[in-house]
Amino acid sequence: MRSLLRFFIHFRVFFLFLALEITSLVLVVQHNQFQRSVFLNSSNAIVGKTYETSNTIYEYFGLKSANQSLAEENTELKQRLYSLENELRFLKQDTSYQGRKQLAIDKSYTFITAKVINASTNKLKNFITLDKGRKDGIKPEMGVINEHGVIGIVSSVSDHFSVVLPILNPASRISAKVKDKSQTGSVVWEGIDDRIALLEEVPLYIPVHVGDTVVSSGYSSIFPEGIDIGKVKVLRKENDNYFYIEIELLANFSKLSYVDVIEFNNAEEEKKLEEKTRKEAEK
Amino acid sequence: MISFVLKQTAIFILYVLVQVLVLNNILFFGYINPYLYVLFLITLPSNLSRSALLFIGFGMGLIIDVFSGTPGYNAFASVLIAYAAPLMQKTFGPREDHDVTIIPSFKSYRVGMFIQYALILVLIHHFVFFLIEYGSVTHIVSILTKTGLSAIFTMLMIIVIETFKFRR
Repeated sequence: MRSLLRFFIHFRVFFLFLALEITSLVLVVQHNQFQRSVFLNSSNAIVGKTYETSNTIYEYFGLKSANQSLAEENTELKQRLYSLENELRFLKQDTSYQGRKQLAIDKSYTFITAKVINASTNKLKNFITLDKGRKDGIKPEMGVINEHGVIGIVSSVSDHFSVVLPILNPASRISAKVKDKSQTGSVVWEGIDDRIALLEEVPLYIPVHVGDTVVSSGYSSIFPEGIDIGKVKVLRKENDNYFYIEIELLANFSKLSYVDVIEFNNAEEEKKLEEKTRKEAEK
Repeated sequence: MISFVLKQTAIFILYVLVQVLVLNNILFFGYINPYLYVLFLITLPSNLSRSALLFIGFGMGLIIDVFSGTPGYNAFASVLIAYAAPLMQKTFGPREDHDVTIIPSFKSYRVGMFIQYALILVLIHHFVFFLIEYGSVTHIVSILTKTGLSAIFTMLMIIVIETFKFRR
């Protein structure tokens, strides 16, 4: 017993080294298994505050480009306002027009504006931290977009901060389609280049061309249908059934400032209904 | 003694902030991500006990992990170099009395020896870090490229900082 004790004391530095390395490995493995644990999460209070403070400094350097993108968005919104006003005028005239009932559908989405306070693009697994959280109405599984297109999906929230799993993360899969085509596929990211992603599972019989716009499919109810994701850049046959499609992402992930978190008002209802149907089907 | 500890604590915080606020945002060609905080761990005085050095390495790695959203990655790599640094000091450091406290630097090691000492530890740290990040050896080419390019960048910064210390 005593010699065993002496053995441990003699090699105490080595055993301490082993213990610390094993602790680190446990953290690494847990991180891979259960996404991000709440404790080691950049949405926890101290980390969030630090990034928020540093962001207020960085913000001044990006004012010019932020202004520009806000102005661009303004113009685009104005244009949309005019086209909607026109439509409204047209619909008021033609009271027998049946299609107007469909207008109500899009109202089921509301937007929460949030500021990006930390974002990585150079890692293999990237994350984005937002300055709004549970108290502002943000919940996991909500979609995040900016004026250029889809950014990602909220993965975890604390009271005042939330962490987004962006397209630039191998764990992200976003249901998408080529604009005006019905067949859906998934947008995934394979690492390295923060401007390029892949659109998978598009069959060869769909007529796709280089330069086509890829948009969200609206199937998952995380994003409304038709939000821009990217443009087809490289297109070739992957095998006998599917295309290999590289898309150039429209959102510039290294220069994010403000984003919109999308809340689907009827998400609970839809989920419950789907769940119920599934259970009944299993019976 | 107390003022020395206070000064080291301030430098520790400075390295952490520089790492998470500046260097983690640097991106060249999608490959370069320098980890300068290694320099703090490899230039602690030689009279520090090895256990203390291990704890400091673990703490520093873990703090940077919390900020970078990579739990365990930096902690593992920095504990490894905190363990390896004293062994390397025996190889590259000046052969003097064991009672003399030596702070590794250009002056105490001579420039060439210090660069070799730092380079080996930086390479070990970066390789292990990127190996964990990729999670398998199937991406060995990417891991080695990232290790090499990032290590060059880290070493350049170390040399610049050490030169300033040397001049003073």
